[in-house]
Amino acid sequence: MGAITILNIVLRLAIWFLLTDDFSLPNIIIGMAIAFLIPLSRKSSSTLKDWLRILWEVIVAVPQAYLEAFEIIFRPHNDEDIIRKKVKVRRNSGLIFLDIFLITFTPKTIVVKYDEEGWYEIHRVKRKIRNKK
Amino acid sequence: MIDTLSYGLIIVGIIFWFWGTLPLIGNRSVLFKLHSLSVSDTLGSMAIVVGLLLKIPNEWSLLVLAIMTLAIWNTVLGYVLAYCSSSNEKIINKK
Repeated sequence: MGAITILNIVLRLAIWFLLTDDFSLPNIIIGMAIAFLIPLSRKSSSTLKDWLRILWEVIVAVPQAYLEAFEIIFRPHNDEDIIRKKVKVRRNSGLIFLDIFLITFTPKTIVVKYDEEGWYEIHRVKRKIRNKK
Repeated sequence: MIDTLSYGLIIVGIIFWFWGTLPLIGNRSVLFKLHSLSVSDTLGSMAIVVGLLLKIPNEWSLLVLAIMTLAIWNTVLGYVLAYCSSSNEKIINKK
């Protein structure tokens, strides 16, 4: 059993115990059974390090999202544009999902399209730059 | 102290809600509206639930789950809406 499988099962158990809020023995057994019975994705090219890094980035993204929210509330960002960002190498679908989640979670940026060739198209709001005429 | 903090968070959340929802009736692009909606729906609602969490810590497990699902579903649906709104433009451009 690989480290990623263990991480996966721990996440499932965490959700189960949050949902039921019950640490009695039968509930632990049911939770374990469900966590092991739901199929795991068989092959994964990613490493545990990638997963841990992105989970950490998700935690960091929360205060950053609030910071950006206050920024666009107090200093209106009226300009918008689309930028492209390259997807990092060796990303499987789970990691790409979390990448898209991270970018879209912060209020200033939204992923508009994920390109199979390895690009995210990101829509972004920014402050208007005044033309000096 | 905790009461003040929790009411503060709930008030911040409600301000976020109104701030993000009012631009919906303006005439900006769909994507621009999505940016302000992610402030109100995701971050505003999360602030309100955290405020509730401070008030009723006994129900922490369900409230934490609520915060997680709010973050995930709002963000993913925002992405889905952005994706849908942009693919049409692409098709028109190609023609």
